[in-house]
Amino acid sequence: MTLLFMLFIVAAGLVTVPGLHRLLVGPTLADRVIGLDLLFAVAIVLSLTAALLSQRTVFLDVAIGLAVVGFVATLAWARLIQLRAGGGSE
Amino acid sequence: MSAILGWLVCGLALLILLIAALGVFRLPDALSRQHAATKAATLSLTLFALGTGLLAWDWAWTWRLLVLVMILFAALPLASHALGRAAADASDRELGDDQ
Repeated sequence: MTLLFMLFIVAAGLVTVPGLHRLLVGPTLADRVIGLDLLFAVAIVLSLTAALLSQRTVFLDVAIGLAVVGFVATLAWARLIQLRAGGGSE
Repeated sequence: MSAILGWLVCGLALLILLIAALGVFRLPDALSRQHAATKAATLSLTLFALGTGLLAWDWAWTWRLLVLVMILFAALPLASHALGRAAADASDRELGDDQ
């Protein structure tokens, strides 16, 4: 069972590689935000795994907080990209 | 029984997340990459929350996971729409500059 949790963590770690790649070298600004989104998804999966491993519900609240923060961050970056592109009137 | 089902659903969720990561890595432009990241990641996170609920099998976990899934369903399409519109505007601007 612990082996399965380790497998989960390794799989989530594998997902961070394309996410970091997009975040660091993504050709446009939107690509970097997509990489950040993927990293937030990995963070939510990892905190759910931490909740299962420690049998504590506190990490579920962490996952909820991460979801809200990721939403606000993506909205803010999208707004910034749109303002830079000159299409700011909405 | 619910434990085995929970492990299977969690494994499926991680498989879908890996496929989403592959799409983000391989697809050619920002909008298609975002399509891979948003839709597949939403499905994957929902399935992982379902699997966590099946593994824990407790109401204290279930309602927190329900709140998480409701937030994800409300937030991810909105964020994806805003980002997609911004990416489309930015690429329009680049095309306009090139011509």
